[in-house]
Amino acid sequence: MRAVGLFWLSLRIGAMNALQYRADFFIQLAQSTIGLGTALAGVAIVFGQTDELGGWRRDELVALIGVFVMVGGLVGVVIRPSMERLMEGVRLGTLDFTLTKPVDAQLLVSVRQVDIWRLMDVALGAAILVFAIAQLGGRVGLAAAAAFAVMLLAGLAIVYSFLLVLATLAFWLVRIENILVIFASMYEAGRWPVGIYPAWLRVALTLLVPVAFAVTIPVESLIGRLEPTTLAGTILLAACFLVVSRWFWRLGLSRYTGASA
Amino acid sequence: MSGRAPGSLMEIYRSKFRSEIAVQFAYRGALAIWLLGLLLEPVIYLVVWTTVAASQGGAVGGFTAGEFAAYFAILMVVNQLTFTWHFHEMEWRIRQGFFSPLLLRPVHPVHNDIAENLTFKLLTFTAVVPAAIVLLVAFRASLQPSLVDVLAFIPALALAMVLRFLVEWTLALAAFWLTKVSAINQAYYVLMLFLSGQVAPLALLPPIVQTLASLLPFRWMVAFPVETLQGRLSPSEILTGIGAQIVWIMLAWGLLQVGWRAGVKRYSAVGA
Amino acid sequence: MAIDDRSPAILVRELRKTYAVPEREPGLRAALGSLVRRRTRQVEAVAGISFHVSPGEIVGFLGPNGAGKTTTLKVLSGLLHPTAGEVRSLGHVPWQRDPAFLRRMTLIMGQRNQLAWDIPVIDSFELNRAIFGVPRDEYRQRLTELTDLLELGELMRKPVRNLSLGERMKCEFAGSLLHRPEVLFLDEPTIGLDVTMQRRIRAFIAEYNSRTGATTLLTSHYMADVEALCRRVVVIHHGTLLYDGDLTGLVARFSPHKSITIDLEDGGEGLGERIPALVGPPEWIVSHAEGRLTLRVPRSETARLTTRLLANLPVRDVIVDEPPIDEIIDLVFAGRAGPAEVPPA
Repeated sequence: MRAVGLFWLSLRIGAMNALQYRADFFIQLAQSTIGLGTALAGVAIVFGQTDELGGWRRDELVALIGVFVMVGGLVGVVIRPSMERLMEGVRLGTLDFTLTKPVDAQLLVSVRQVDIWRLMDVALGAAILVFAIAQLGGRVGLAAAAAFAVMLLAGLAIVYSFLLVLATLAFWLVRIENILVIFASMYEAGRWPVGIYPAWLRVALTLLVPVAFAVTIPVESLIGRLEPTTLAGTILLAACFLVVSRWFWRLGLSRYTGASA
Repeated sequence: MSGRAPGSLMEIYRSKFRSEIAVQFAYRGALAIWLLGLLLEPVIYLVVWTTVAASQGGAVGGFTAGEFAAYFAILMVVNQLTFTWHFHEMEWRIRQGFFSPLLLRPVHPVHNDIAENLTFKLLTFTAVVPAAIVLLVAFRASLQPSLVDVLAFIPALALAMVLRFLVEWTLALAAFWLTKVSAINQAYYVLMLFLSGQVAPLALLPPIVQTLASLLPFRWMVAFPVETLQGRLSPSEILTGIGAQIVWIMLAWGLLQVGWRAGVKRYSAVGA
Repeated sequence: MAIDDRSPAILVRELRKTYAVPEREPGLRAALGSLVRRRTRQVEAVAGISFHVSPGEIVGFLGPNGAGKTTTLKVLSGLLHPTAGEVRSLGHVPWQRDPAFLRRMTLIMGQRNQLAWDIPVIDSFELNRAIFGVPRDEYRQRLTELTDLLELGELMRKPVRNLSLGERMKCEFAGSLLHRPEVLFLDEPTIGLDVTMQRRIRAFIAEYNSRTGATTLLTSHYMADVEALCRRVVVIHHGTLLYDGDLTGLVARFSPHKSITIDLEDGGEGLGERIPALVGPPEWIVSHAEGRLTLRVPRSETARLTTRLLANLPVRDVIVDEPPIDEIIDLVFAGRAGPAEVPPA
């Protein structure tokens, strides 16, 4: 559980750094609230005109928004900032210092940088999710909750692997600072169930950029709409993603030439 | 604004065009990624609304699925032509000290930004128009504008470009007073999202929101040209809209002057 | 205020600039409190300085970090509005930033980049040409001249990001001088450059000045820059003027000593006891070994002592020298130097 320990340490350092800039707290609070309000207002506008969207009812979509904001927050707390720092490290050669530490390098680069204010999104998203589950009433059983937890973890693993692969590309192509933006803009599509999109976009959101696994599938498992085969398949896929991204990371690392490059 | 002959101002623009194209070319990868995002956003709402229309028996709030497709495809083009990035740019410039050299040129910095803007638009326009056509075809859009609509669309679009640029450039001046403008930026962005017709055509929003959108400049910056080209507006509505655009442009222009003067005064009082 | 042709290119009278600096105390409560009410402290960056620069002069503007040099340069070039005082650059009030003024001056900062980062240098030049309204034939002629002087050649076709620091600085100079400014404000133009490149830049500034008669105000931490370029220096410290006059005068004023180095015939054999008696006060002798005698003597005593030593010792060679300028500047800034009174300008 070295990963957890390191992550915790990064979190504490990040918190201590961030607390120096208190104004950021209010800015992030405003931004998170506005972001969530926007998503909910969008749902309200759509459901002002209809009772269901592609088979999804209002409360189910509110749950989806909750997970969308929460997962976005989790990615924003540690994965994205760490990946950005990794890419910068490759560009400037400062990765040298990371590689000389007696810890698994992939682990270290994955938890190096923390943006604790984004925890606000995690909290707000979770609150909305709880609210939505209460609205859904007795439809969420223990099994569904367990399946949701597993799917959420699998989804995060897939997103993490995907971002690691994108960031690892920096070993080959140095000037791709904003490649992570691809994920950010595709992720916006995740605020709606991927099932409503036309086939080509659905495929892209599932296989090219794994937004479906991060948001839609966990919520589907929560509201008992997920086939057991999809559940098993997702776990398998998450394992594959982890293995492949690790292999790719190793490959990239072997190309690293340090600051002199 | 610097009181020089218009001929030499044209020359500055020409030079800026040339160097800006070179800059954008250096960042063609970033440009491609940016275009991807630009393309995706209207597709998301297009899909949501065509799904809603389908579930409601073909039409919602006076929009058929085909009309939604047309709305969001045109919206994408209008958005591409009107959007600006000065919120980020201004803050970055002031914090990093890149503002000073700009201030020492014998030309008002707004010309630098107008030229940059137009060049970027010109470059990306070539990619956005084919993308819009693909959307129109792929989602079987229905669009039959009259000649009057097409003719009215042109000034409506041009005025929308001017208005949005002036409004956003003026708001970006807040960076002279605040160290972080991101919260203002986001609040404005959200207002923009709902009140300028990005999430849904304004006709689908509650009446109070529609009134707000028309009283504030938002509708006139984006939604109005789209509605015009779709043939949803009567000639008198079009004329009223153009009038509203002109009034807001004059107001924004005045605010820009005042804000600029005050901002620079502050900048030269506190230093960089 | 109208100023005719014989007036100074730069005029500064009782210039003051105070900044309000936010004060922050440590601790959570203080931090929360500062969200509501910010406390500020007034810091006087420039506390009333006066000087003027005649057309064509190159003046070195010296002072330790935080002395107010950059603030003054920013006021003179129009970036900052002073708190009080009167300033004219080329007869203009700089902070009004009249385009007619901006077209006649330039500000070059060694630590800031003004050329566009991602495009070839020549494209940035072309943009500057348009912005400053330089006629095309003049532009071409000046570009050729600057290219020759600075040996730009192939550099101009490369994007700025691919240039070394020295190459970039040369291009900054060329780009900032295409409109042939009459006043140059140079803020640490040689900072971070290697010695060869420093020398090149220095030679270029001198050459530009002699060709165009441009008035130049220069700050630098490298005394070699100042010695090579500036007959006159203005020294400020803690926002006040310490000295304004020629460089040799600075040495005379602030260093009350000279150094005398004497080489003796035959290694000075057998002179051991006679030397201290001849010199006088033992603290004047810095070292005496292997036939070389080094002395540090009050300025007023130098001539008399040198004569005495020459008459009484088998001298092979004698050097009477000022201490290195770096050392003097050090003394000035450390406040250990003699009393500073500003000579009438």
